[in-house]
Amino acid sequence: MPIAHDFDYIKPATMEQTIELLNQENKRISILAGGTDLCNMLKNGFRVPDLMIDIKALHELNVIKDNNTDIFIGALVTFSELINSDIVKEKLYILWEAAHKVASQGVRNRATMIGNICSAVACMDSAATLLVHNASVHVKSVNGERKIPVNEWFVDNKKTACLNNELVTGVTLEIPQKKYASAYEKQMRYAGEDLSQSNVGILVQEDKTYRIAFGAVGPTPKRSLKIEHFLQGKELTDSIIAEARQMIETVIAPITDVRSSKEYRMQMTKVMFERGLRTAIERLNNLI
Amino acid sequence: MENYKYIGQSVQKIDGKEKVTGAALYTDDLEFGPDLLYAEIVESTHAHAFIKNIDTSRAEEIPDVLAVVTGKDFPFKFGLYMKDRFIFAQDRVRFYGEQVAAVIARTPKAAKLGAKNIRVNYQPIDAVIKQLDSIKEDAELLHPDLENYVHVPWFFPKDKTNIAHHRKIRKGDMDKAFSEADHIFEEQYEVPRYSHCAIEPHAAVAKFDLSGRLTVWASSQSPHTQRHIFAEALSFMGIRHNDVRVIAPHVGGGFGSKAGVTMEIIAAAIATKYPGHPIKIIWNREREFFNTYQRPGVITKLKMGVKNDGTITALKHELFWDAGAYVEYAANVVNAVGLSAMGPYKVDNVQIDSYCIYTNLPPTGPYRGFGYSEFLFGLESLITQVAHKLNIDPVKIRRINAIKEGDTLAYGAHMNPNGLHQCIDKVAKEIEWDKKESSPHKNKVIGKGFSLFWKAPAMPPNASSACFLKFNEDASINILVSGMDIGQGYLTVMAQIAGEILSINPNKIRVENPDTDRNPYEWQTVASHITWSCGNAVKNAALNAKNQILELVARCKYLPIDTLFLEDEKVKCTTKANFELDLKDFIITGLQMEDGTFKGGPIIASGTFMPQFTSTKANPETGQGGHPNVHYTVGAAALKLEIDTETGKMKILKAVEAIDGGKILNPSLAKGQIIGGLLQGISTVLYEDMRFDHRGKMLNPNFTDYKIPTALDIPDEIVPILVEVAQPDGPFGARGIGEHPMIPAAPMIANAIEDALGIRIKSMPITAEKLCLAILNSSKTNINNK
Amino acid sequence: MKKINFILNGEKRQIYVEASDILLEVLRQKMGLTSPKCGCDNGDCGACTIILNGKSVRSCLIFAIEIDGMEILTVEGLSKNGMTPLQESLLTHNSFQCGYCAPGMILSATELLKVNPKPSVEEIKECIAGNLCRCTGYQPIIDAITDLTK
Ligand code: FES
Ligand code: FES
Repeated sequence: MPIAHDFDYIKPATMEQTIELLNQENKRISILAGGTDLCNMLKNGFRVPDLMIDIKALHELNVIKDNNTDIFIGALVTFSELINSDIVKEKLYILWEAAHKVASQGVRNRATMIGNICSAVACMDSAATLLVHNASVHVKSVNGERKIPVNEWFVDNKKTACLNNELVTGVTLEIPQKKYASAYEKQMRYAGEDLSQSNVGILVQEDKTYRIAFGAVGPTPKRSLKIEHFLQGKELTDSIIAEARQMIETVIAPITDVRSSKEYRMQMTKVMFERGLRTAIERLNNLI
Repeated sequence: MENYKYIGQSVQKIDGKEKVTGAALYTDDLEFGPDLLYAEIVESTHAHAFIKNIDTSRAEEIPDVLAVVTGKDFPFKFGLYMKDRFIFAQDRVRFYGEQVAAVIARTPKAAKLGAKNIRVNYQPIDAVIKQLDSIKEDAELLHPDLENYVHVPWFFPKDKTNIAHHRKIRKGDMDKAFSEADHIFEEQYEVPRYSHCAIEPHAAVAKFDLSGRLTVWASSQSPHTQRHIFAEALSFMGIRHNDVRVIAPHVGGGFGSKAGVTMEIIAAAIATKYPGHPIKIIWNREREFFNTYQRPGVITKLKMGVKNDGTITALKHELFWDAGAYVEYAANVVNAVGLSAMGPYKVDNVQIDSYCIYTNLPPTGPYRGFGYSEFLFGLESLITQVAHKLNIDPVKIRRINAIKEGDTLAYGAHMNPNGLHQCIDKVAKEIEWDKKESSPHKNKVIGKGFSLFWKAPAMPPNASSACFLKFNEDASINILVSGMDIGQGYLTVMAQIAGEILSINPNKIRVENPDTDRNPYEWQTVASHITWSCGNAVKNAALNAKNQILELVARCKYLPIDTLFLEDEKVKCTTKANFELDLKDFIITGLQMEDGTFKGGPIIASGTFMPQFTSTKANPETGQGGHPNVHYTVGAAALKLEIDTETGKMKILKAVEAIDGGKILNPSLAKGQIIGGLLQGISTVLYEDMRFDHRGKMLNPNFTDYKIPTALDIPDEIVPILVEVAQPDGPFGARGIGEHPMIPAAPMIANAIEDALGIRIKSMPITAEKLCLAILNSSKTNINNK
Repeated sequence: MKKINFILNGEKRQIYVEASDILLEVLRQKMGLTSPKCGCDNGDCGACTIILNGKSVRSCLIFAIEIDGMEILTVEGLSKNGMTPLQESLLTHNSFQCGYCAPGMILSATELLKVNPKPSVEEIKECIAGNLCRCTGYQPIIDAITDLTK
């Protein structure tokens, strides 16, 4: 299907040039990295940019950088690169797991994690990682650089805190300094490629603190501090897990759509929470 | 069994190399040069509405837009079995997405922009979405002038209703049979619509040249039928059949969706309005879902009388089909099921009512299985339920009742030779039916399900096939036929048949998809009849060629013809060991006599086939008296299902399917049909879930939300079993198996679920979600009951 | 219109494209390469798979203008010097039916076999999971690839 309207294309060589270009109020601008979402939006006419800025020449954004206390992932890093990264596999296992479940190889070879974060659809696979690793999103504009904490980043379904003249350059993920393990669980209609109908991210630390994130069961993905507090410091016996599982009913409000009913989303979130939690604990125990 | 050289061998597909090298050309791959134009359609945004007016002026002003056509340009009906459609909607639209206009442009972009700029003014009418609503007294009529519609003589539309056809079967004495039964069971089942999802969307290019001849290139299962319908529809322009030429290149999957005529007629029609240019029209994936054919949905009501020993005494089967806005093809699905909804069982007292009902949803039509998957979901579920109630093993009850050769069919004719009982035994053994299994995993249970299946080709009684066969100088052969290789391997099997008779390696035989100008008649590639029907035509042509060759040699070499035979491209003689004539030395050039003259000439043969014993002439009230079906192909299947009781997720650990294909001509290809077909069936149960909103708009016309399986979603193991009870009138004893593999999938999964959990699901699909919620529900009721 | 340079099946090519041109359509309509197919136009089916700078990607989700300076391989290029062992194996297994998914499937598997010549069945399934095939049930394709690893 052709794209019915025309637009300009620029592939700037430098960051300065890019943010200059972005700073044009009278233009509708689309940023192109992997393009796997953008291309469809243009074909369907959901977006009609005047200008498309291809940022693939900004090689400094194609990095995964380990700073010990945190890891920076640049805007050009694809899901395949995340899967092939030892840093990610070792320190961001939840992301490594989630990346495998993004679409298919042919898409992962192009699609970027930052693109996923910018689309901010409720079902995105990266959200759980961002939430349990206390991420901050780096954005740049002519006015300088901002780091937006993840809990401020998601404003609504498909809406982020990014301003029109800002470029997302990457994301920083905090690495706990105690022993920790994580797990990602995704509700899918089958084993093959699917958008998540709901998802759960779990991070557990050796001091028995827990981070729990729920995705696709509200307009934006979010942590559940209520369940985290409840679990805090506790040994996870069957009955504690069962109690925490029951609390899910009070912390999420899933909806019914063409992909799943709210009842099934609720049930699956509970099951995934329990399974993810047990998996993460098992992983933690295996570390020691 | 005879010793064959090529028949029964797993010969490599003759079009295989084209397909793995990217050389295979499909319709959209063909080159038409710089004068190619593009068309884009405008779709209805209402499921049911009158068209007040169409404003094309803005579209016409767009640069590169050349013409706009609407219903006004083509005020005549068409259809395969019943003429109830228009090329473009006339005064009303009957489904969401129906074509109301088309824009012809120089570029795809301009066509798309043009279509966006056409304004259609609608006056909405009440849309009828559910078939049971559609048959209510006060339902809005979709086709108020139904009584005037032209249709085949074996259809019975009901005036001033939404019932386009009612197939009745009355056999035996129902009242008596039910009163004499020890038990009576009644159940209702529901099967929704499905989409074929061939990976190649529909595509057609048409050119009406300035001399008045129409050529259409199309992704098609039915080139001759399309030519016929185009010629009929355009006959008002003085167009004759030989003015229309349909060329069908490779087809990227059909499954019934490319049978008959759907969007191709748009290409053909608009070409006549803008002569002199090839015009291309490609369906996008969305339209592929809602504007070709869908598989019809059905609600079935079953009542079965059974003796204590498990013998079925009576079966009442009512089927209410959601056939959509136009039923020109679907009405024959309804008809076929009406004839066969007794299932592969011996039942003496049968009452079937199969209703074809108009609704304001997309048109439905042929889909692999042709209604049999739908009705067998209910019937094969019910038989298992009955077995459990009577405490009889579900396989045993099937053995007790399974049909045998010579048993009387629902319409009074008799069952053909078949290996149904063999299939049952082999499947039961392979799946270890008697062995109960449990899962080592917490939260998981295992169940087994069994199902029989059958299906007959559904076609007009006089559907026919034809073949031309010609030799080349080197004794290689070109065969011209008009069936379509839609992946099943038909071309290869035709080469095997001719090769066997003429003793020539199939790799020296070229068989290609047709051009109706050059290739002889074929009805359609549907109904799993092509191996049988066209195979017979090819066999006849090859026998004819063989006869010509042997006669020529007998005449010129003064040998008795019955001592001559063909072997490895040579003519040999049973009485003269040294006699040997290479075909290549005379097959074109003839045989030279002692006086220097030549006898013979290029060997060209033809063969045709049409069944001579079929008839649809029957009493409309009872369905008795005709012989509508040529034969049934039967089989049995079972699977082992693992269920996660917390999530409802199901995994098929093993599936076994036995099918009696008569003589299996190519085991590799036959097994390919079983593996691929079974997965397609499984997919309709576990994954595919078509949704419409209350206005009749399809909500998931894409692979993002209409899920067909990926390589990660296949059973752990599929064991195909080939049973071979010869079909007496089939080529080398073959009968068709193309559609059948998918048919038993739904009931055997439902039966396995009941086996594992005691939960009976009576509607499809059975997604993980549906099962999970059913499990949650049943545990609630269990608690409540305590 | 912008001029782009790229390598297509080993040959240097130069063409003019609009920013809105989709790579799949440019390959099919301007370059005459028809092995990449359009099955969904939405990134879901994998029929349009090509190899771009060594990686399998969906050409229906790429703007032609992006590929300036890059290298593209399609099945036409793969088959230039005869069939690869993968193609041979798929052929002898009668793996494909209609064949519409074949080019995409072959390129996905080609990428896999290059980095991992002895993939497990699970890895094979994972690799081709983005290539939808409605005909074969995948098993004959998986078998043909598995055979190569023996
Ligand atoms: S056509 Fe590109 S993924 Fe389907
Ligand atoms: S062989 Fe037909 S889609 Fe794969």
